[in-house]
This record gives sequence, structure tokens and C-alpha cells, in this order.
Amino acid sequence: MKFIFADSLDVVDPNYDFIADRNGPGRKVHWDDVYPHEILGYAPYDGILVSRATVGDRGIKGKYTDAQAMRFQRLGARVFLRLDRPGLDHLAIFGDCGAFSYANEEKPPFTPEDTIEFYGHAGFTHGCSVDHIIFDHDPTVRGMDGGSDEARRRFDLTLENADAFLRASRTLSGRFTPMGVIQGWSPGSMAEAARRLVAMGYDYLAVGGMVPLQAEQIRHCLQEIRAAIPTNVRLHVLGFAKANDISSFVPYDITSFDTSSPLIRAFKDKKQNYYLPDGPGKLRYYTAVRVPQSLENLQLQRLVKKGVFRAEDLTRLERNALALLRAYDRHEADLGDTLAAVLAYNAPLAVGRPYEDCRSDKAMQVLSQQYSETLSDRPWKRCNCAICKDVSIEVIIFRASNRNKRRGIHNLSVYKALIDQLDSFPADLRNDSPDLFGRQCAAE
Amino acid sequence: MTHLTYLAVSARQSETHKVLCFAATAEDVLRFSSIDRIGRDDEGRLSGFQRPQIASHIREIKDYLEKPDAVLPNPIVVAFTRGVAITPTEGGLCRVSIDISDGPPGLVVDGQQRLTALGQAEARDFQVFVSVLVCQSEAELRRQFVLINNTRPLPKSLIYELLPTVDGLPHRFEGRSFAADLTARLNHDKNSSLKGQINQHTNPEGKISDAAIQRVILASLSDGIMRDLVRKPNGERECFELISEFYEAVQKTFPSEWWGHTARSSRLIHGAGISALGYVMEELALYEGAKSWSQFAKGLGCLRDRTAWTGGEWNFGGGDVRHWKALQNVNRDIVTLAQYLISIVRADIRARRSAAAETPLLDALSD
Repeated sequence: MKFIFADSLDVVDPNYDFIADRNGPGRKVHWDDVYPHEILGYAPYDGILVSRATVGDRGIKGKYTDAQAMRFQRLGARVFLRLDRPGLDHLAIFGDCGAFSYANEEKPPFTPEDTIEFYGHAGFTHGCSVDHIIFDHDPTVRGMDGGSDEARRRFDLTLENADAFLRASRTLSGRFTPMGVIQGWSPGSMAEAARRLVAMGYDYLAVGGMVPLQAEQIRHCLQEIRAAIPTNVRLHVLGFAKANDISSFVPYDITSFDTSSPLIRAFKDKKQNYYLPDGPGKLRYYTAVRVPQSLENLQLQRLVKKGVFRAEDLTRLERNALALLRAYDRHEADLGDTLAAVLAYNAPLAVGRPYEDCRSDKAMQVLSQQYSETLSDRPWKRCNCAICKDVSIEVIIFRASNRNKRRGIHNLSVYKALIDQLDSFPADLRNDSPDLFGRQCAAE
Repeated sequence: MTHLTYLAVSARQSETHKVLCFAATAEDVLRFSSIDRIGRDDEGRLSGFQRPQIASHIREIKDYLEKPDAVLPNPIVVAFTRGVAITPTEGGLCRVSIDISDGPPGLVVDGQQRLTALGQAEARDFQVFVSVLVCQSEAELRRQFVLINNTRPLPKSLIYELLPTVDGLPHRFEGRSFAADLTARLNHDKNSSLKGQINQHTNPEGKISDAAIQRVILASLSDGIMRDLVRKPNGERECFELISEFYEAVQKTFPSEWWGHTARSSRLIHGAGISALGYVMEELALYEGAKSWSQFAKGLGCLRDRTAWTGGEWNFGGGDVRHWKALQNVNRDIVTLAQYLISIVRADIRARRSAAAETPLLDALSD
């Protein structure tokens, strides 16, 4: 199974100064920053997926600046993502439209033709047809039953677009693999969409709209889709939010999937922020220790504005927490003192009150338990990746982009090792298509 | 110690206030005064007046203050309603004694970001001027705060014009400073195709906005050809010539939409047109190695009948048809226009190379 990382400019400054909390001197945005495959020294994925909506286009505000978006298209994705060097130049570059960003519009802001132009000009190796998300998933209906008028309109629109997209993609033949996107309101309708896409001529399908579904619902859909198409047709799962359950998806013969989940969860999950391997097909999770920047954290600033806390006092608590964490890392502070300093600063953040007043609150008890586990296990000392080796305890501190994304990149590397392990499962459960990544290299 | 004492200079200003000035370290200022941030108590009564600190601003000031030649001539203004005793000595001097036994009695009225930065900076013995204002009541103090802080920021275009002449500015200004400098040269150099045409603080007759030209330069410096050019030994000159030659080509390609127009009457010299064409310049410079106006003009020729600078409609495709005047100087419209122009220019390059229609530009480039 190939793991494609859905990137949205997930770079860090390699010269970031963790003590002064600032970027390296004279740092130029993006140019001086590094991608996961640069900071780790290897790619923790088999390819990168870039959404048109992430780059930004007319009608959609992306994550890239306008000048970056223009450079991306001018020089191509491979150069922009810095995958144009030996050892990385075989990595796949997938594209999709980012259907969630325009899910509420009547129709996608992109046409199949301008999407092919976008993929072709930027040198994508694989690209998804222009789909339109269908909500209101109903696992109980069979075949083509059910489905609201709107769901059926989007179903037809997605298939019409796929047809036009496939035709437009012929101008790029030999250096580009078109992928037909499946949208449906039920396992049966998805299977039907898959069947029609194969009939159009697609041999690589991408299943969309999986993000809101439960793992069990996803499995059900994949099962029906698989049963409806020939075995040689490859399957990709778009935006695979259940990335951590990946081992249970092995039987469904998925060729590839994309996700940004291991990176995002480093700073969007409530407690599963730092990954370590935990036996075959398993991960162990730790909670990162929150020490936000007192003058920049919106929640703390709100408390200051309302006069609940003085900024100077929060800054003092913040400094103290950081100092003790670093001392603890050097074995110069004990667990109790370190935990107390961290909790004293977390109380305003978690419950909006001084620690003395809320020590026994449930929320604080839970935090105390999680942090104590993280600190006493010292997981960052058990990881050999370039990031953990380089920044030590900073990787587990939940604070601003440079620490949080580093932790996310560390997670990517742990995750990739897990995926590679899955490939060594019994051969009859594996789906290795040697030509998958061989094909698009031919033209290069 | 319960009192801090300073020798101060007083100024005769108002019958009802006392105003004086002395020097103190940041540490001491924070011992006799506090920053009273605006908030409300449980009954909803307003207290304090300062806004929250701004971390990035503080960091910039701190960076500056840590330089050995840093100076801070403007004072921190501290107001008192109590806790301060003034004894006149001779010649307009006086002795100020501040009672800090009940905590700091003064309130910082102006300079909280500077004071916070100083508190964090290394230079512990760095002194600042403190202007003291003694008020009769809290209400009077708040009035002074509003009066002192109700100043108008300088117009951006004036700051931009001044920037290139100022050294040692925070890093974020570097790109902007270069862009401002180059814009000024384009406006004043006798060899510039844009001579006298750019609206600057000192050239109000100019028709093209300086911000639009700067946007072109900044985008090119961050993500375009100038990033490479500017590092060459003669980099600044080459950047100047590139822009000058390019807009010369624009003027020669669309003479009737350029000359005699204002941003209102022609979208060509409007911010949207100027900025969008900047991306076309990048395209031609990269794929055709264009440098001179005639090379640029060759690439621009294909646009001649496909634009609606002064009338008609833009057809951006996908049903997006707009009246010529509907183009605004906002990022979204600039990008939309740029992509429309670029796709025509790319198709034209492809056709002129008479290569097979499917030969992608990127591949052609790497050949």
C-alpha cells in the first residue's frame, strides 16, 4: 500500500531558535524552510498530494501566497516541492481539486479542462477528476436505491466531469495517470459509480467523501466497490482520515491512500499527539505538553482582555514551565516540580482559572495524568529520527508551528514505517503494483 | 526601600497638571508603574485602558534594543494620581519621590510595548526617559491616555518613500525597502519607461499606484526572477532594467489604453492590470528568456485582441464574464486576470515554437 502525504505547505524552519522562539536570522519564507523529506533525510511517504484548493485559484483562497501559487505553476510541482533530486525524483505527485473546500457551492469552481491544464502544466504524475462531494451517507439502502435529488445531481455531475476529464487527459498521455473519482450516497451507488468509471476507461479510481464516515462504513463501501470492478483496477482512498486504523484496511486491496492525519494530529488531536511504534501494525500515542506563547495564544489573550489574568503573570508562568521542562530533559529537575509548573500554566488555558482554584477539577486531573505519562516515559529519547535527536524535548512541547509541525513530521516517519511493515504481511493480502510508480517515471 | 527618588526637569504647561521628566532603567519603571490593561470587573465597570501587548512588535523593538548603538529618545509616559511627592529645587529642576510601599502607583500611558521589550532585553542598565504626568483623578488620566494615543499613523506611501534611506530596520522591511527604492528609481531615472508615471507621495501627478509596482517587485523578489537577479553583482541594475523594459513593451503593445488614461478609465494602468501583468513578465522571462522590450513585446502581442482594458467584457471562462470596470484591485481579481493572460501567452509560446501541441512548456524548458 502506498502512503501519499497530503501536503499544505507543511514546512519548518531548520534554523529555528527554540530558546529565543524565533526564526533563523534572515529566514526567507519557503526558500529557507524544509519539507519533511528534507529535514528527515528521506521521504516519509511514497508521494505527495497537492490540492488545487490548497494552492489557491480563482474563486478559492489557498494556503499558498499568490506569488507562491504562480511559482508552483510556473516551475512545476516537483521543483516547488523539492522532489526534483536524486532519491526523490521517483516519488509520485498526486493532484485533486479539494472538493471539501467547495462542498457548499452548487457546482465545482473548476472545469475538467482547466484542471487537466493545471495538472499538466505543473507536472503532476497522477490527478483526480473534478468531483462534487455527496453528503448524507446512507449505509442501509441497497444498489441505486435512496439518495436525495441533490445527491443524484452530484453523482451525475461527478461522472460527467470524469468523462470529460479522461478525454482531456489524453493530451498528457504517457506522463500522467488520470484517476476517476467515486462519489455516492451509499455503498451500492459508489459501486455503480466505480463500474461506470471503469467502463469509461479508467484503470485507477479514487474514492472520495470518506472523511465523515466511520471506519466500518468505509470498509463496507470499499467491499462493494471492490466487488464491482476487475481486480486489476487500482483503488485510491482520498483524504483517509482513519489513517491510524490502516492495518484493518489491508484486505480491501487498496493500492494507495492519502492523508495528512499523522501530521495534523500532532497539534489538532486532544491527546494523541506524538506517535511511537508499538509492535506489528500498532502505534502508541503520547499527549504533547502544552506551553503556548502567552502573548500570542488567543485564548490567553482573551483572558487578559477580560482582565481575568495579567499578561505579565502569564508570561512568568510560561517561562517557568519552559525552564523546568528543559531542566527535566537534562535530568536537572524532578517530575513533580516539572509537572506542577506545566499545570500551573495550563490551568488558565484549560479552565480559565488559577491552578490553586482548580487543582481538583476533572480536566486538570486528566491533564496531570496525561502529562505525567508523557514526561515519565520520555518517549522523545526513544526515537532516533533526525528531529527528536536534534531538538530533544522541544518536539513534545505543544507550542507554535515549528515545534508542532516537527512533531507531526516525526509522526509521519513513524507512520511510514508502520505502512512499510504492512507490506510485509502475507502476500495474498498485499497489493503491490510494480508498475504504479514505474509508469509515470517513463517520461521523465 | 519604599521610595524611589529622581532628579527631574519640570516644564511649565498647565495649571492643573504637573509635567516633568527624568531618566530611569526599565526595571525601575516597572517598580513604580504598571501597565493597566483595559478590562471590566464583576459589575461590568471599566478599568484600565491599555490594549494587550503585541508579541511581534515587542520582538522587533527588543531586537533593536539589543544592538549596541540602540537609542530610544522618546519617553515612556507614566501618569500618577497618587504616591508622588515633588520638591522644587533651583532652575526648573525638582526632586521626585515615588512611594512604592503599596505597589506601583504609576500607570503607563504611552510606551507599553517599548517597556515590555526593554524588560525582556539583555541590556539591563539601559535607561529611558520617563515623562511624568500628575493628574487629579482617574478620569483625567484616562482622558490624557486617549489624547496622547489618538495620533494618526503616517501615510503608507510616505513611509515607503522614506524606507530606502533608513538603515537597520527590522528584517521584514528589507524586501519592502528594496521594492520602494526600485519604485523610486523607476519613477525618477531618465532611462525608465515609467519615468514620472508612478504616483508617490512626492509625485502626486503619477497615474500608476506605487503599491501596484511594489507588488510586482515583491512577488518577483519572493517567488520570481528577481530573486535570482538581485544576487548578481549588478543585480539592482538588472532588476531595474527588467521592469522598465517590460512595461515599455506593455506601453508599446497597448498604446491607446495606456496613454492619456487614469486608473479609472483604463484597467491597464490600474492596480489590477499592472500587478497581473507582473506575472506575465515572469512567464516570458522564464520561458523565453525575455529581457529587452522587443522580446517582451513579442510575447505580449498575442494579448492584443483579447483584453478589455478600457471597454467591453472579460471572458475568463467557465461562465465568468465581467464588465471591464468590474475588475477590482484585490488579490482574487488580480490572480484571475493573471491566469487568464498567462494561459493565452502560454498557448502562444507553444504555437510559436511550432512544437507538437501537447509538448508541455516545462519539458521544453528542461530540454
